[in-house]
Amino acid sequence: MSAAVLETENLVKVYGRGESRFDALKGLTFEIRQGESVAIVGKSGSGKSTLMHLLALLDEPTAGVVAMNGRPVSQLKPAQVSELRNDTFGFVFQQFFLNASQTVLENVILPLKIAGVGTAERKRRGMEVLEQLDMADKAGNRATDLSGGQKQRACIARALINEPSVLFADEPTGNLDTATGEVVEDILFGLHRDRGITLVIVTHDDDLAARCQRRLLMQDGMIVADESGEAVRSAGASVGQTSREGSRRVGGHGKHAAPVVVDGPGLDEPGPDGPEAGPTAPGAATAGAAGQVENAGTTGEERA
Amino acid sequence: MRAVDIAGTALGNTMRSKTRTFLTVIAIVIGAFTLTLTSGLGAGINKYVDTMVSGFGEIDQISIMPGADATAQMPGSSGPVAYDPAEAQATGEFGMTMLTDEDIETIAQVEHLSNVEPVVFVAAEYLETADGDQFTLQSMDLPANAAALELAAGVKPARDAMEITIPETWLEIYGTEDPEAVLGETVTLGIKDLAQQVQTVDAEIVGVSQAAISGVGASPMPSSALNEELYGLQTSGLEVEQPQAYVQAVADVEDMAANEQSVKAALSEEGFMAMTVEDQLGVITGIIDTVTWVLNGFALIALLAASFGIVNTLLMSVQERTREIGLMKALGMSGGKVFGLFSMEAVMLGIMGSVIGVGLGVVVGLTGNAALVSGPLSGVAGLSLFAVDPMAIVLIVLLILVIAFLAGTMPAARAAKKDPIEALRYE
Ligand SMILES: Nc1ncnc2c1ncn2[C@@H]1O[C@H](COP(=O)(O)OP(=O)(O)OP(=O)(O)O)[C@@H](O)[C@H]1O
Ligand SMILES: [Mg+2]
Repeated sequence: MSAAVLETENLVKVYGRGESRFDALKGLTFEIRQGESVAIVGKSGSGKSTLMHLLALLDEPTAGVVAMNGRPVSQLKPAQVSELRNDTFGFVFQQFFLNASQTVLENVILPLKIAGVGTAERKRRGMEVLEQLDMADKAGNRATDLSGGQKQRACIARALINEPSVLFADEPTGNLDTATGEVVEDILFGLHRDRGITLVIVTHDDDLAARCQRRLLMQDGMIVADESGEAVRSAGASVGQTSREGSRRVGGHGKHAAPVVVDGPGLDEPGPDGPEAGPTAPGAATAGAAGQVENAGTTGEERA
Repeated sequence: MRAVDIAGTALGNTMRSKTRTFLTVIAIVIGAFTLTLTSGLGAGINKYVDTMVSGFGEIDQISIMPGADATAQMPGSSGPVAYDPAEAQATGEFGMTMLTDEDIETIAQVEHLSNVEPVVFVAAEYLETADGDQFTLQSMDLPANAAALELAAGVKPARDAMEITIPETWLEIYGTEDPEAVLGETVTLGIKDLAQQVQTVDAEIVGVSQAAISGVGASPMPSSALNEELYGLQTSGLEVEQPQAYVQAVADVEDMAANEQSVKAALSEEGFMAMTVEDQLGVITGIIDTVTWVLNGFALIALLAASFGIVNTLLMSVQERTREIGLMKALGMSGGKVFGLFSMEAVMLGIMGSVIGVGLGVVVGLTGNAALVSGPLSGVAGLSLFAVDPMAIVLIVLLILVIAFLAGTMPAARAAKKDPIEALRYE
């Protein structure tokens, strides 16, 4: 088993205060290992993007620890965090964030420009990655002149240009039709397979989630299921079914839960909590979540 | 991010909303233009004064005035003063202390001084040419001003000879335009004595003068001897002995560079005040400098206004580009670099504004100067109203860049502080 790249312990994120206080994450503890492909799934507003931003060191948790290669990132200086983001991480955001006034190539090479790479080298690497994504002929176009799928690929090119070891993608196929979505997926998993990039993908797309080695199901700021296994896709199962059949509920572990590592329990092996989970996944998840709300609440107060 | 990339990106960003950049730059241009013109004006006039000073360079002349206890002379500033006939005699028409003949003798005793002469004002009646044509002599130059005389032809009147110069504008009395043609002509000067009788003296024209901005050379200038002769005639004609009083005296200093201080000290000990030509022009330069600085002050106010334009433009820019800033920070750009990027944008505005403004100012100043000096003011010899001082130009550009940078710090700090996540969520 490879080492953990990212670990979290009791991760809490609270937005606002007083009346408008909102607990977006309620004490998450898990780890993501080197070379893993992880899908974060769940309903809208369940805290997926929030979690991804914390993992990607874009935001700071209200409480709890994010550790990178075993070292808590709160120990790092802001400059080191910036540098990590610049050369170790790649980002595909939920929106495109392409600069309308620049060409596709200029948009794509932005991370290299920030890193201080020379002009010629930037251009070479920019063209290289655009070629990989079949976008070389669009390099000189304004970013606004692209189709949705092309924009998405431009964003992926930007995320890959610094040859990251961890790629964070928030809804990378959200704006795409099935066919283009498929192409983007193939690109991502190709990189995962060929270069051993760690993928952390937030998605609503069951197909995409199913292609990942591991799925974290989120609900109301908690991980209610953590399942491994890749065979689901062929079985045509939805995420909801998957969570019922192939996962272990983690709701009851509380804040001192050990890192949730579920080693590929195969599809045929039902989780231990399976029978109690009720007939539908959402029901099961809610039941699990309810147990932890109190827990998380206490945690929040303790930390405040 | 490398410095070139920051500069390039900043320049690109200013070009994004061209109208806004244009308007902001115009405000800076106005300030830079005004500052260039006003400081160029000061430099030009001072340069002219400097040429005048260096023209006097070799003339070791000093003006001597009664030591001024200025406050004691102000009417009403002191109580009644006991009457002293000796002193009263030396009080001129405006209540100013004057020099007496005794004073002149005292001054002559001072070491390193020679040719001490009181300055007297002569009001001659007319100047008559050899052909008998008479012309009114409204005023005559003081021989003491000979040092500052710019000549179109001939020489300055010799101290002890009955000689005179006429200005270029008087050439028409001989119906000529060639200044050389009048040299050697004899003229007769008529002057009224105290009994209102016209007396005459003959003098030779030895030079033709050009009018300087100070007025020197604009009217005929007699030699010292001629002037004294005329003064003698002017004050003659009555039986009564008139006490003499002079506003000031001039004297030659032997080796000015070495003796200036000792002469001044000796004179001041005797209760006189002494000024070299340079001192006098220094006063003029001082006034010009003061005026220049007042004008520069207005230009600086324009620049101050322009700096708020920069602040405004950049604040808008930061606001509009919140997402872009968030993205850059998310992709690992440090707050310091974001600050650098935005303050560089301010500096870019400053560079554009100052280069255009200073360039315009220099062009307008130089053409304006050329037009005035060769046009309406062509009578004034050696006049310059505008000069390009490279040092001043560099300083103006630097000053504007500093102002622009300072104006940019607030918006830039705001951009640098933006939280990447909030910025990315910004709609
Ligand atoms: N800055 C904020 N202030 C207050 N609440 C916030 C803020 N950001 C997010 N939230 C809330 O936190 C919750 C989780 O948001 P998040 O963006 O993580 O959802 P998500 O799971 O990514 O949803 P989606 O699938 O729609 O993208 C939401 O209810 C959202 O309203
Ligand atoms: Mg989201």
